[in-house]
Amino acid sequence: MSNHTSVATSTSIIGSSTCVLLIARNAFREAVRDRVLYNLVLFVLLLTAGAIFLGELSAGQETKIIIDLGLSAMLLFGVFIAIFVGVGLVYKEIERRTLYAILAKPIGRGQFLLGKYLGLCLTLLVNVIIMGAGVSLALIYIRRGWDPLAIKIWPAIMLIYFELMIITGVALLFSTFSSPALSALLTFFVFVIGHFSADLKSLSSTSNQVAARLVFRALYYLLPNLTTYSVITPAAHGSSPDMQSIILAVAYTIVYSIVLLAVATLIFSRRNFK
Amino acid sequence: MKNSLLLLITIVIALIVSVVLVRAIDAHRASVPAQFGDESLYVNAATAKRMALAFNGLAADWYWMRSLQYVGGKIVAFEDTHTERFGLGDLDLHVLPSLLRVSTALDPQFVAPYEYGAMLLPEISPDDATTLLNSGVAANPKTWRLYHLLGYVYWQRHHYEMASEIYAKGGNLPGAPPWMAAMAARMKGEGGSRDAAREMYSHLYDASNDPAVKDMVDKQLMRLKSLDDRDEIRNVLNAYKARNGRCVSSWRDVASELRAVRLSLDAKSGAPLDPSATPYELIKNGCDVGLDMNTRVPFR
Repeated sequence: MSNHTSVATSTSIIGSSTCVLLIARNAFREAVRDRVLYNLVLFVLLLTAGAIFLGELSAGQETKIIIDLGLSAMLLFGVFIAIFVGVGLVYKEIERRTLYAILAKPIGRGQFLLGKYLGLCLTLLVNVIIMGAGVSLALIYIRRGWDPLAIKIWPAIMLIYFELMIITGVALLFSTFSSPALSALLTFFVFVIGHFSADLKSLSSTSNQVAARLVFRALYYLLPNLTTYSVITPAAHGSSPDMQSIILAVAYTIVYSIVLLAVATLIFSRRNFK
Repeated sequence: MKNSLLLLITIVIALIVSVVLVRAIDAHRASVPAQFGDESLYVNAATAKRMALAFNGLAADWYWMRSLQYVGGKIVAFEDTHTERFGLGDLDLHVLPSLLRVSTALDPQFVAPYEYGAMLLPEISPDDATTLLNSGVAANPKTWRLYHLLGYVYWQRHHYEMASEIYAKGGNLPGAPPWMAAMAARMKGEGGSRDAAREMYSHLYDASNDPAVKDMVDKQLMRLKSLDDRDEIRNVLNAYKARNGRCVSSWRDVASELRAVRLSLDAKSGAPLDPSATPYELIKNGCDVGLDMNTRVPFR
């Protein structure tokens, strides 16, 4: 009896994960079909122009500037993709009424959201890897030979990707209950506030009122702490985050993404599509 | 087809009109009085850092390049309206300290703005130079180059004791070159001498990667060499006057003496050449020597 139960559970898990992966693959394909990766062309143009002209403008600081420019563009483009594609992930399925067909199948709403999330994360991963390779190549071009920074920037690139995973989760969460325009605006606000987390912390410790102190403290812990991922500036000076910082950032990304997806599932499962 | 052609013509005409309008706007802007047309900073360093979010490195680069463009623009504007050579004090670079301050506040490890500030600010705003470099040392206490630059700023201000102290501190850092300790001793003993200046500029030249800084330092080294040359030439001119009871009528009168002190002479006029290979001028009716107006050697 117990053997039958465990086999049934395993089959169910395999079936669930296959569904999630199928949705993720479709979300990735859809993003590619929507020409999301065309931003890479703009990125390449930006880097090429930077590599050629920065020598004239920066008085010998082109290596630092190309890293700052490349990694900042990577984050900015990634945030725009995460926001504008992320907020449409659920909305488009509802508007086209394809969601009804999907949910009529043995697919849970949580699985649907997880699949969509992973699909966009895969799109962003491809995007970030290609952009990272572009920055490394630009550094080699500027130096007219091997530059150790071409490797040293990759931990920073990894952290940028983790930040984008969080932003994708936030966009997905808002898209489960709000219109795309409002979701995009709210996600952008979260991105901005997430970079002010140090100020929230200092406000919580310096405020005179207990209630204000509690509110700021709560906001500090509830909103994503995106300063954890801000290592672009040190990366431009050749310093990489230590292993402990990276492990903590990975753990934070996983845990915070689970929270975002769980809340999104909770809201989405209560929505009535009739 | 007809519609497309019409649209195309509209686009081309509109673009041409927009170019004409931009030129008109530029012309109007040029006629605005200088005190209104100057650039200004709308945000202080702390606000800029907050507003930059995760892009503070890029914002620092932007302010750095803006500093370079600001100084370059002032030089071009001066040269367009004046015939005489400019000194930094003539350029009215009052926004430069703020630009450099914002750049370094956004990225405190960015050494280039400190270096640029150390070269330019002592002549424009000595207090801002000291503040900028002290903040650089505070943010990068293990970077010996910043101690070198701060020592240079104190030396420029004739604070030789302070410069000596800073060089001694920087010289104790791991990786600091041995000449830092030697400079500490030299600042204490003979801070105001020409040899100390020469040594200072040579080390600045070697330690810098910035072509603009290297060019500035190179000119200062030429100025020092020229001061030595002019001392030698004055000795020769004075000796001639003592022998003949009058000043020289042309450089040919003292050609052999000038050659004897190993000065290179212009083949055509026989005038001694300054470090930028421009002939020196005879001034005060042949009793003294001066720099030619077209020389690359700075007057001060």
